[in-house]
Amino acid sequence: MGKPLILVGSITNAIKSRNILLQAGIRSEVERAPGSYQNGGCGYCVYVPDHSDEAEQILLQYGVRVNGREERGNIV
Amino acid sequence: MIYLDNAATTYPKPDSVRNAMALALRRYGANPGRAGHDMSIAAAEEVYRCRTAAANFFHAPGPECVAFTLNCTHAVNYVLKGVLKPGDHVVISCLEHNAVVRPLHTLAAAGVEVTEAKVVPCDNDATVDAFRQAIRDNTRLIVCTHASNVWGIRLPVERIAALAHEYRIPIAVDCAQSAGVLPINLADSGIDYLCVAGHKGLYGPMGTGMLVTTRGSELATVIEGGTGTNSAQAEQPEAMPERLESGTQNMPGIAGLRAGIEFVRKRGTDRIFQHEIELTRYLYRRLSGMKQIRLYTAEPNPRYFAPVLSFNVGDQPSEVVGRKLNERGIAVRAGLHCAPTAHRFCGTLEQGAVRVCPSVFTVRGEMDQLVRALASMH
Repeated sequence: MGKPLILVGSITNAIKSRNILLQAGIRSEVERAPGSYQNGGCGYCVYVPDHSDEAEQILLQYGVRVNGREERGNIV
Repeated sequence: MIYLDNAATTYPKPDSVRNAMALALRRYGANPGRAGHDMSIAAAEEVYRCRTAAANFFHAPGPECVAFTLNCTHAVNYVLKGVLKPGDHVVISCLEHNAVVRPLHTLAAAGVEVTEAKVVPCDNDATVDAFRQAIRDNTRLIVCTHASNVWGIRLPVERIAALAHEYRIPIAVDCAQSAGVLPINLADSGIDYLCVAGHKGLYGPMGTGMLVTTRGSELATVIEGGTGTNSAQAEQPEAMPERLESGTQNMPGIAGLRAGIEFVRKRGTDRIFQHEIELTRYLYRRLSGMKQIRLYTAEPNPRYFAPVLSFNVGDQPSEVVGRKLNERGIAVRAGLHCAPTAHRFCGTLEQGAVRVCPSVFTVRGEMDQLVRALASMH
């Protein structure tokens, strides 16, 4: 299984992503993206503990721009 | 007080709007879209709910198409200054508010050319033809009001949008007077940039407006700054809505706007329009029987008019009439209504006019009281 944090940029995209995933039956949470400087600065992500690869594919199908994936707490 | 100045801002606001704002200040007091703590996320969720409500209301593809602004004027400015460059040409109508005219005056000094298309009330064919004749090879934008804020004259924006797209020109529509009163469908209308006031027909608080568009990322920015995203980069983000939303948002206002949109959705735009246009037509008929009253348009046909009516009392300066009505407890708007071009159109540039606009809360008896007050002004 891939990294559980899906980086999506803005809070708008993060809430939208969570709602899309909820409709698809995948639980996720909106969080601040870790390692902000390494990821281009501040931003938001969705934490998807299970089925994160499938979740990313679903988001891409819905036109959500995915900026990357991270481990939770991977970057200090 | 009898409040008939709803074209400037609606009053009173629904209880739900006041409650939503108070709740937002109590419960969502953190900055939305900036931090990761619970209250910041909760605040962002509330903003997102309003974005979603607005997107659904105007049939936009998604909440990211809704950028919050301070008012409709700011939304119009974002479009005009985001699209037009020196050497470009823009077509506007002869009924535009200063929200359109003044930014274009500034842009004209930088080399943007402006042509005014003449609106022919109650003749949509002639109006569309006027826009067609105004288009040039270098026309980069068409901008028009959905409904005149002075005369209530409606423009056939769907037909003008179709015309614009025939020439591959985007169209921006100033919906300050129409949002919440006339049906607006971003998906079906062909409107590229929908500029909306939140504090008028949507019953939100002052300090709220929206730019609803699928093309926000194409706009050059007027204001740049913190968005809570991509902070390490100096460039303004391209993605909507943050491209157009620098700085802290008016979170309590946005919460109130959401409640206002819900209020209108539940009542139904059609019902609201019928109520207000019937009051306007009733007032028109009463006024048309009074010798001293000057009317400038035909009786408002619902197909061609929004519920706004302006008139004068003989040669009396409109501001004097406005003052006298205020003394009788009736609030109207006199003067030029920030739309001198619309007044030039009807020959009222010097006298101005007295404007009356009902809201969903206005009743017929209030129109009767207005008529009695006008009748006493000899």
